[in-house]
Amino acid sequence: MKKKVLATLLATSMVAATLAGCGNSGSEAGGDTSAPAADNSADTAADTQTEAPADASGDSAAADSTASDDAVATLIANTTGPVALTVWASEEDQELTTTLLDNFKAQYSDVEFDITLGSESESTAKDTILTDVEAAADVFAFADDQINELVKAGALQEVVADYTYDVAGENVAGSVEAASIDGKLYAYPMTADNGYFMFYDASVFTEDDVQSLEKMIEVAKAADKKIAMDIANGWYLYSFFQGAGYELSLNEDGSNTCTWNADGATDVAQAIMDACETGVLVQMTDEQQATAIAEGTVAAAVNGTWRAETAEEAWGENYAAAKLPTINVGGKDCQMSSYSGCKLIGVNPHSANVGWAMLLAEYLTNEESQVARFEARGLGPSNIAASESEAVQANPAIAALGEQAAYATPQRVGNNFWAPAETLGQILASGNPDGTDLQTLLDTAVEGITAPVE
Amino acid sequence: MKNFFKSIGNYFKEFATAIAKGDIGVKLSLVIMGAGYAARKQIINGIIMTLLEAVFVVMCVFYAAPNLAKFGTLGTVQFEQKFDPLTMTSTVNDYDNSFLILLNSIIALFIILAFILVYIGNIKTVYRLQLRKEAGKHINTFAEDVKSLFNQKFNITLLTLPCLGIILMNIIPILVLIAVAFTNYDQQHMPPNALFTWVGFKNFKQLFTNSTTVTFGYAFGKVLVWTLVWAFFATFTTFIGGILMAQFVNSKNTKLPKLWRTLFMVAIAVPQFVTLLLVRNFFGDSGIVNTICSNIGLTDFLKSIGLVGSHLTYIPFLTNPNWTKVMIILINIWVGVPYQMLIATGVLMNIPVDQLESARIDGANKFQIFWKITMPYILFIMGPSLITDFVKNINNFNVIYLLTQDVYVTSDQLLANSNAKEVDLLVTWLFRLTNEYYNYKIASVIGILVFIICAAFTLVTFTQMIKGNREEDFQ
Repeated sequence: MKKKVLATLLATSMVAATLAGCGNSGSEAGGDTSAPAADNSADTAADTQTEAPADASGDSAAADSTASDDAVATLIANTTGPVALTVWASEEDQELTTTLLDNFKAQYSDVEFDITLGSESESTAKDTILTDVEAAADVFAFADDQINELVKAGALQEVVADYTYDVAGENVAGSVEAASIDGKLYAYPMTADNGYFMFYDASVFTEDDVQSLEKMIEVAKAADKKIAMDIANGWYLYSFFQGAGYELSLNEDGSNTCTWNADGATDVAQAIMDACETGVLVQMTDEQQATAIAEGTVAAAVNGTWRAETAEEAWGENYAAAKLPTINVGGKDCQMSSYSGCKLIGVNPHSANVGWAMLLAEYLTNEESQVARFEARGLGPSNIAASESEAVQANPAIAALGEQAAYATPQRVGNNFWAPAETLGQILASGNPDGTDLQTLLDTAVEGITAPVE
Repeated sequence: MKNFFKSIGNYFKEFATAIAKGDIGVKLSLVIMGAGYAARKQIINGIIMTLLEAVFVVMCVFYAAPNLAKFGTLGTVQFEQKFDPLTMTSTVNDYDNSFLILLNSIIALFIILAFILVYIGNIKTVYRLQLRKEAGKHINTFAEDVKSLFNQKFNITLLTLPCLGIILMNIIPILVLIAVAFTNYDQQHMPPNALFTWVGFKNFKQLFTNSTTVTFGYAFGKVLVWTLVWAFFATFTTFIGGILMAQFVNSKNTKLPKLWRTLFMVAIAVPQFVTLLLVRNFFGDSGIVNTICSNIGLTDFLKSIGLVGSHLTYIPFLTNPNWTKVMIILINIWVGVPYQMLIATGVLMNIPVDQLESARIDGANKFQIFWKITMPYILFIMGPSLITDFVKNINNFNVIYLLTQDVYVTSDQLLANSNAKEVDLLVTWLFRLTNEYYNYKIASVIGILVFIICAAFTLVTFTQMIKGNREEDFQ
């Protein structure tokens, strides 16, 4: 009797084992069938995929949206385990980004995400990233002036295809240009408000006054007010020389081409010195401007949206913004130029989950997110639809930037520019105390700016 | 020096003797390191040594050889990556990372060197065992060997960890830094995306040439002179200030000495960068000090005697080169004196009272006592720390960088063309070159030169100081 019980026990356990075996093979089979399905979708995607790069150039977004959807579906199917991503956003952007990240996770609820949000200012992102590209975040925000060095260091994934919206087509041309190098798109435009313009106290200047610097100086002198600008900073100094038609550009090898010492350029230097000589146009750094505006000694300043709030607080209803004025160079009125600036989102090509990083970057820069960013932080959208909204148009700073955009160029300049330009600006703003010949001054500066890079 | 070469000679002589006179066990150890131990029945020692050798061979084949093979070129295969928009994944080729090759090669060379030393030591030990055996002396068992590490040879046990730490944390990075000085590692050649390679002494040449476009030589000379001037003033002003302060606080006539001492210590307790950044704002062109100065008419007075340029409406405390240099030294006095006071207080408390008493009885006045007894005593005790202070000040990054960064703009165009400023020390210049311009190669060259300057200065002054028996002189 006992033996029989043992036998049945053994028999059942064996059956159980075979059943379990069946179960396993069954699920394996399931896995097998699902795999070809994924392959199929990839194949169909491949058929339409020839259009995907064209997607970037902006036509027939709807036609290949199926291809994009399939690629995303494939990505979801191929993703096993949690997707680890690191995101860097500026300190001020943390709260908003957290919300956006949650929305992103909700959108792809089938996938488990492990997203870490770090804090890194857009203006210094490059410094941290270039220290060790492989250790940098998967998705990061940065200012467009860094794009050249980042691309050179291989820290940006080229945007060869977009999946959820048409990056090149839905953003304003200027921001797409700022995100591209040699016609290749390397980042996702996030804002289009990082350039500079002029804000002024409308109780001192009229709208006509702010058209020319000479007129402004006259009016300000009468009112005993000052006009502030960070002349000893290559970024702003550029506006004078570029406005007068002298060239500064970046060469392939990282050095610069600069014609600031060409015939007649001394007139520009003289014009800057003359304007400073009056004591009305004063050299002030960004921080100094903040104090001076609050104290009321400054009635107009050339600066960016980040300082607009200070001015708005100080001048209240009289706060107004406009494009930069014209400056009289050698008897001719020249419209001052400027650097347009954008904030961009980049994807690290060394990311382990580059596909998801790209999707996240798209999400953080799509129309919805840009609107949210404007509402939460007042940052000017680069998305065309978002920037045309009434609320955005009503913002004077963003409107002034729009006005200035016609005279602005994206910042493409090598590292050797900054120190010599800073010193040149400093010398001009302080009225050339050593009395150096202006041509020599410009020659030396240009020598430093165009110094070869090995 | 002679002893040094002699001991090296002896080292190899012993090795040669061991090979020549060793028996079969010793000779076999040349191939299988554990053989010699096994011959003396030290089986465990033998196994450990043989294992070590095996690990070394494996390391050579899989780690050292592939890296050292590329050491000459620092890699030839450029990074390439291909993104597939369909699967949304990237594929990367098998690329060379110049920096990792350099780093790994140096580590590998280090391990090989260490192994050679162990190897030679091993032969000698095995030969010594043979001698002991022949002499009929006791040969340690493994347990006894281990035990000796905690008794007679405890110093070896204790020193192993710190030595490893120093090699890993100091020596290898320094060797890498030195190697980088001979490469073209800069922003145009940044791994992993680009390769860098050896360029010989080109960077050193660049530092000392002074053509019109490359002004590094000019900048280096200017920065070096200011570095030395600064180090001299910074060291001696705070030193003398500290002693005087300590003297005043410790004087019998001072009331509440503990209170004053604590007050000065509070200055130390506040982190330097906080005080320095605040001071930088105080002395800014539109800072509070300038407002006060123009209100009380000091600005106009300085203008009238020509110390401030006539076109200025403020005193350029931190924006004019000469003003800035003086201000930096003054501010440094204020920051540095409490530290020196603390040390000087300790020294003053230990000054031999009998000497002071006898001087007083002989009719010396306070100044004479201070100059003839107190000062020599303090100098004797604090001499070495004065030298380290000087070297520290050559590398005093905090004060200079925090006071001038973002505020000071040079008006010397030649300096600007090399990214230097009049008030830069070699270290702050070096920092800017690496941190803002990624010019690692030139930064390494400057680093090496700073090291040479500091090392030479320390060696010379220390040997001068230790020369003769100065203690007896003093007594």
